[in-house]
This record gives sequence, C-alpha cells and structure tokens, in this order.
Amino acid sequence: MEKATGAISAAELANSQHSRETVGDFTAVDPRMTCREVDVWYGSKQAIKGVSLDIGKNEVVSMIGPSGCGKSTFLRCLNRMNDTIDGCRVTGSIQLDGQEIYDKGLDPVPLRARVGMVFQKPNPFPKSIYENVAYGPRIHGLTNNKAELDALVEDSLKKAGLWNEVKDRLDQPGTGLSGGQQQRLCIARTIAVSPEVILMDEPCSALDPIATAIVEELIDELRQNYSIAIVTHSMQQAARVSQRTAYFHLGDLIEVGETNHIFTNPQHKLTEDYITGRFG
Amino acid sequence: MTDDRSLKPIVDLASGHTVRRYDLELAKLRGIILEMGERVVEQTQSAVKALLDREDSQAFWVLDREPQIDFLSLDADEEVFLVIARRQPAAVDLRIVLALSKIAADVERAGDKAVRIARQALELRDLDAGSDLLSEPLRDVLRQLDDKACCMFERSIKAVATFDVAGALNIFEDEPTLYQASNGARKLLGELDRESLTARQTVCLLTAAHALERIGNHAANIAEQVIYVALGQDVRYRNREILIETLRHHGY
Repeated sequence: MEKATGAISAAELANSQHSRETVGDFTAVDPRMTCREVDVWYGSKQAIKGVSLDIGKNEVVSMIGPSGCGKSTFLRCLNRMNDTIDGCRVTGSIQLDGQEIYDKGLDPVPLRARVGMVFQKPNPFPKSIYENVAYGPRIHGLTNNKAELDALVEDSLKKAGLWNEVKDRLDQPGTGLSGGQQQRLCIARTIAVSPEVILMDEPCSALDPIATAIVEELIDELRQNYSIAIVTHSMQQAARVSQRTAYFHLGDLIEVGETNHIFTNPQHKLTEDYITGRFG
Repeated sequence: MTDDRSLKPIVDLASGHTVRRYDLELAKLRGIILEMGERVVEQTQSAVKALLDREDSQAFWVLDREPQIDFLSLDADEEVFLVIARRQPAAVDLRIVLALSKIAADVERAGDKAVRIARQALELRDLDAGSDLLSEPLRDVLRQLDDKACCMFERSIKAVATFDVAGALNIFEDEPTLYQASNGARKLLGELDRESLTARQTVCLLTAAHALERIGNHAANIAEQVIYVALGQDVRYRNREILIETLRHHGY
C-alpha cells in the first residue's frame, strides 16, 4: 500500500484495525477518481479503514452512514481538505484521472479547483454575488478580460439555476440571499473554476424542503458535466439523487452498489438495519 | 434462476425499528391480513360443508360474513397507504409493505372464492337436487381438493406470520397434488357423473371445484410474496421445480 502522507508508528500499525471486506463492487465503469485501501488517522485514532471506492464520470455517488462513521472524513480526503487538520494522516492511493493527489509535489490549491467542495452550511464570501463567483476564476487566471469573466459568471450562475433570480442584483451581497440561494451561489462558485469533481458535504441539511428540491434537481443536471460525491444524512435524498450508494460504518465501507439495489435489497445486515431504521 | 449471492438468511423481524411506532404499524398491517386469512379458511370450510353435506345454514353464514373480509381488505389498503406516507419504507420494510399489499388482494380474492362455493351450494339446493346428488367418488375427490386447498391456504397464512421460506416451499410442493385433485374432480364431473347430473348441476360443481383450485393458487401467490420479503427475490413465473431445488439446496 502506498503511503501518501505522514508516517505511522509501529505501535499504531499494531493497533490498526483490519478493514471489513466491502460487499459489492466499489469500482466504476469510467472512473474519474480511484481510491484504494485508504486509511485515515486522527493521531492514534483510525477514522477510515482500508476504503476502496471509485467516483465515476457523470455519476453521483452518495455516502451514507451514522454519525462518526467516517463518510465526511473520506469525502474530505478527495481534495485534501484533511491536510488542514493537525495530526491527520492519510495513507493509501487516491488518484484523480490517474494522478496521485497526495504526491508531495502536487499543489493542493489547484487540486481543490479540480475537485470542488460544497459545504453543509452555505458559506458565501462577504462580497457581492458577482464577486463570489468571479473570485475563483480570477485567482486561478481562468479568464483574460472582463467580458470573459462576465460570461463565466453568468454561465456559472445559470448552471447553478440562480441566474434568473440574481441577474438584476449581482452587485448585492451574497449573504443577503436566502439559504437555498446562498447554497446555489456556493455551487456556482465551485462550478466557476471548472472542476472535474464536486464534493458535497450534506449540502441540503440547512435548507427547507423547497430549496432542497431545487438543489437536488441541480445535482441531477450537474451530473451531465461533472462527477459528484455527496455525503448526506437523508437516505431519501441519497435514493433520489445518486446512481451508486456507499454505506460506511465505524470507518469501514460496508457496502457499495447501485442505489436502486441498496435501497431495495441491500446484502449486508448493517446496511439494511441502517436503511430501515433498525440501527442503534 | 435465483441469484445465489442474494440468498440471505431470513430477515430478522424481531429486531425492531428505532421508532417503535413503525413496528406497531407494520404489525397492525400484518395482523389485519392474518385475520383475513383465518376468516377465509373458516369460510371456505363452511362453504364446502354446505356443498357436500347440504348444510344451507353454513352457506348463509359465509354470505353474511363476506363483507367483513372486504372491510378488512380496505383497512389493509389504508394501513399500506399510511405506512408509505409516514415512513417511506426502504429495503426489507418496503418489500414487506408491497408484499402485504399484494397478499391482502390474494386473501380477499380467496374469500370471494369461498363465497362462490357457498353460492353454488345454494344454487344446487334451488335446483332441488336429491341428497344422492354427489356420487361417493365425486364426494371423495371434492373433499381431497378441499383439504389440499384449505391446507395450502392455511400454511400460506402461517408463512406470512414469520415470512418463512421453508413454509412457502412446502406450498409449492403441494401444487401438483392440488392440480391432481382438481383434474380428478373435472374428470369425474365430465365423464362418470354425466348421466346422474344435469348440465346446470355439473356447472355448479365445476364452478365450486374451480374455486377450490383457485384458493390453492392464491396460497401459492402468497408463498411467492413470502419469499420475496425474506430473500428479496421475485420468484413469480419461475420454474417451480428448479426454484424448490435451489432453495432447498441452500438449507431452506
């Protein structure tokens, strides 16, 4: 197993828990990201145990599981967001289009443009709606002039389904929008830097059902152009938006498979207990 | 055939939901169907008694009680709607709700067959048939058909109580005997008893025999749903012999 970052002491290795065998096929037909035998440690505590999972092109993969199961930790590994956490070490292999994302020479900043992230709570910059979207392309040098930047902002807001609602008030603060609009603004901000993969960490948990439905519809549209990995506590949401579902439990990837199959006839008892509400 | 990978152990229904009321709602739904099943068995036995033993009161008793099964069927539908609306069931719970909905329909139709038999008994009475209407061989074969159909139906309802795969397979294994008895009744009515029965009487008895066979068929349909719940496998329209062999091979 390739060691991506950090070192593990002999004592920690001795304490390393063997991962359970995952039920189902964790590979994707046309993978954009491939993760193999990924372990994540917070200090001496192992949060992820030998997880292997592909994120395919033009698919939505949902990650479900009880609190503390490691699904968000795993998601954050996919664009090295865990680098910012002291004592967090990631081992194993995570590749984006065949390139190891934990290579020492790889700059995480452009990586996070290629693998964008939308968080649980909408977090627009304290700037105008326009600047929220324009900021990323500007610092990454993605446009050559104001006209191109304007077009990119408009395109991103359209893709996020927000353009018609904000086109007449682009100079107003992003923080003045409703919660659902703010989340779509954050999605537009992510899209603006042309990512290949979009990670979503409970993107609708702070939204009302109407705003949630709009974001879910958006996720379905975005799938045509991007690979999406979403962590959600709403099993109905996972069933609605994703093509494949991965169930995590205590750091293990217990089962992965087609969403239709996972929600009608899961093979692992833990998955079934969780999905049917017999858990705990 | 059956996907071996999916041949899981029978669902452990004893481990309840975190939300206890969900358990109660599913138990209520299943309770309604079990009650329907018990009534169908009672009514079928009474209807056959009316037919074979000329006990008209049994036939009237069946007709009087017919609406109760229909009302229970409506209750079952209502519970299905409510569980889906409240709980959005998934996985085995979804299979349970879907299967119980189909089972309720089969049980209700089986109840209709009991009523049909009772009506034939009363029609034979109206035709003023003598007490020696049924020859001993015909009486025997109708009793065999009744025993088999009622036995299959009763076992199918018991299988629903625990979603018992082995119990469901027993019902499939009984199907050839059911058809044998049904064919025997048809043969006697078509040939041996042609001279002793009028055409109208023959039609009444054929209708009753067919209704008994259909009750056995409903039992087999219910058994299919039991397997669907327990194993997640839709076994409708599959070769019975291969299905039985495969599942028996897996220890059911």
